[in-house]
Amino acid sequence: MNALHHPVVALHGVYKTYRLGQHVVPALQGVDLSVQRGELLALTGPSGSGKSTLLNLCGLIDTPDSGEIVLSGQPVGALNENQRTLLRRDALGFVFQSFNLVPVMTVAENVDYPLFLVGVPLAERRERVAAQLAAVGLQDHAQHRPDALSGGQRQRVAIARALIKRPRLVIADEPTASLDSHTADQVLDLMRERGHAEGAAFVIATHDSRLTRRCDRVLALLDGRIQ
Amino acid sequence: MSDLRMWLKFATQNTLRNRRRSLVTVSIAALGTAAILLAGGFALSTYEALAQAAARTTGHLILGTPEQFARDEDTPLQYGLDGVAALRAQLLADQAVRQVLPRVEFSGLISNGDKSTVMMATGVEPDSEFAVKGPFLTITAGHVLASGSQDAEIMLGEGLARSLKATPGSSLTLLASTTEGAMNALDVRVKGIFSTGVPDIDKRLVYTDIATAQKLLVTQRVTSLGVFLDRMESTGPAQQRLAAQFPQLAVQSWTDQAFFYRSVRALYNRIFGALGLIIGVIVVFVVTNAMAMAIIERTREIGTLRALGTLPSQLLRTLALEGMVLGGVGALAGAALSLGISLLLYVVPVNMPPPPGRSVGYPLNISIDPLLYAATLAAMVLLTMLASSWVARKTVHLPVVDALAHT
Repeated sequence: MNALHHPVVALHGVYKTYRLGQHVVPALQGVDLSVQRGELLALTGPSGSGKSTLLNLCGLIDTPDSGEIVLSGQPVGALNENQRTLLRRDALGFVFQSFNLVPVMTVAENVDYPLFLVGVPLAERRERVAAQLAAVGLQDHAQHRPDALSGGQRQRVAIARALIKRPRLVIADEPTASLDSHTADQVLDLMRERGHAEGAAFVIATHDSRLTRRCDRVLALLDGRIQ
Repeated sequence: MSDLRMWLKFATQNTLRNRRRSLVTVSIAALGTAAILLAGGFALSTYEALAQAAARTTGHLILGTPEQFARDEDTPLQYGLDGVAALRAQLLADQAVRQVLPRVEFSGLISNGDKSTVMMATGVEPDSEFAVKGPFLTITAGHVLASGSQDAEIMLGEGLARSLKATPGSSLTLLASTTEGAMNALDVRVKGIFSTGVPDIDKRLVYTDIATAQKLLVTQRVTSLGVFLDRMESTGPAQQRLAAQFPQLAVQSWTDQAFFYRSVRALYNRIFGALGLIIGVIVVFVVTNAMAMAIIERTREIGTLRALGTLPSQLLRTLALEGMVLGGVGALAGAALSLGISLLLYVVPVNMPPPPGRSVGYPLNISIDPLLYAATLAAMVLLTMLASSWVARKTVHLPVVDALAHT
C-alpha cells in the first residue's frame, strides 16, 4: 500500500499537557483523528480547547506526551528533530493567522523559499513561482515586498507559499482571522480551489463559521477532546 | 554555489532591516580594523627602519673570531682578526657582498690637556664607511674624516666635544691600552663634530681612521669585518655561505647584534598585540550585541522558517553570513580608511617627536603590508561569523512552537 492509500495524517490516542508554573494543563486528552487526501477539515472550539495544539502536532512542530502520529503511513514518533524538519520541508505547508511572510524577501522570494529548501533547480523554481503567483492573482506583485500588500494579498502569498511544493498536508491556523469578510471569502475560495488543484489536505483551526460551512468536515474540540 | 548566493543575499537583506544599527556596527568594525592596520603598519614601519639602521651600522653580517663574540678581552684586540686584506678579497668575491668594512673598536681616555674623559672609539675606513652607510651622522661642525690623511684625525660626538671644549682643528690626546697591555698616547686633531641623535652616545663616541686606531693600539688586527650585502633578504643565505666558507670564523647577522631592534620589536609586539586583542574584543562585543538584538527581534520569523523546513544548521549559516557581511563590510571600509591614511602620510609627511633618549624626531610612516591586511580582514570576518553563530545557536534550536509564540 503506497502513501496515496494512507490517510495524509492520522493521530491515535494522542495526549499532550503543558506545565504552567506549578500547574499541569491538559491540552489534548486521547485524540484520534484521520485526515484524507484532498480533504478540508475544520477544527473549531473555544480558546484553550486544544485546536492549536492539535495543529502543531499534525504539523510536526510539537511532539505528543503519548500516542502516535502517522504521516502518510509513516510513524513520526521516532524521528529526531532534523528528520522531522526535513519531513515538514517535503510534505507540509503552513498558513499562519498573521501571514508570517519574511519581510525582507519579495513576494516571489517568499513563495520560492520552500522550493529552494527542497533543492528544486532555479529554472524550474522560476516557472513554478510564476504559475503559483498567477494562480493566486498576484503575478503583478512578484517583486513587491510583503509590507506593500494588503492583508488579503499577504494571505494569498502565504497560501501560494504553502502550496508551491505540492504538500500532502497544509496546516492553517486561523487563516481568516486577520481579514475582513470579503477578503476572507476570497481566501477561503482560494484555499479550496488550490487545495483541490494540488491534491493537498487542509487542517484548519478556525472560529469563523463561514469557513467551517465550506469545509468537507468539521470537528469541534472542547477541553482537549473531540466532541 | 547558487545556494550560497541565495543565503548570502538573504543575509545581506537582513542586515539592511535596521540600517542605523547596522551602520553603527559596520562603523565600529571599520574603526577597529583601521586602528589595527594603522598600529600594525606603524609597528612594521618601525621594525623596517630599525632593521635598516641596525644593518647599516654593523653591516648585514659581522665576521670575527668566535672568541670575539663569546668572551671578554683581557687586552684590546686580544681576539681580533689578522690577515684582513686577504679575508676582504675572499669576501668581496661573493656575489651578494657589496662592501667589506674593517672596524677597530676600543675604549680609553681622551684629553685636552686640562680635562680627561672616557671615550668609546671606533676606527673605520672613512671613505668606504661613509660611502656605504650614507648620512648616518649629522655633522654639526667641521668635516667628516677622509681616508689617506697624513694627520691623525678624529671626529667627536657633540656632547664629548662640548665637554672638552673642542672645535674643529683642536688638538687632543687619545690614551689607550695597547694589545700588549701597556699604555699608549697619541696626539690627534679634531676634523669634525657629529651627532648620532642619541645624547648619551654623543657624550662618549669618537671616530677615527683604522690606521690611527691601529697605531694607538700598536697592532695590525681589527675587531671585526662588517659585510654589507646587496639587500636585506640576502642576509640568511649569505650567512650560511660564509659560515661554510670560513669555518674558523664566527659569522653573525645584524639581528644578533641589534639589541635595540630586538627589544623594540618585542615591546611593540606586546603593545600592539594587546591593542589588537582589545579592539578585536570590542568589535566582537558590538557585533554580538547587534546580532543578539536582531535575532531576538526575529525569533518568530526564525520559528516560521523552521516550520517551513529550514534546518537549524541552515539558519545558523545564514546568521553567521549576516555577521560576516557586517564584519566584512566594516573590515573592508576600515582597510580602505587605513590605506588612505597611510598613503596620505607619504604625500603630507608628519614628523614624530624624538623618542626617549634621542634628540631628533622621525617621520611617521605606516607600512602597507598585504599580509597584515589579509590577516586582519580574515580575522575580522572570522570573529564576526563566530560571534553571530554563538549568539544565534540558542534561538535556532528553540522548539518551533516556542519560537512561533515569541512576542
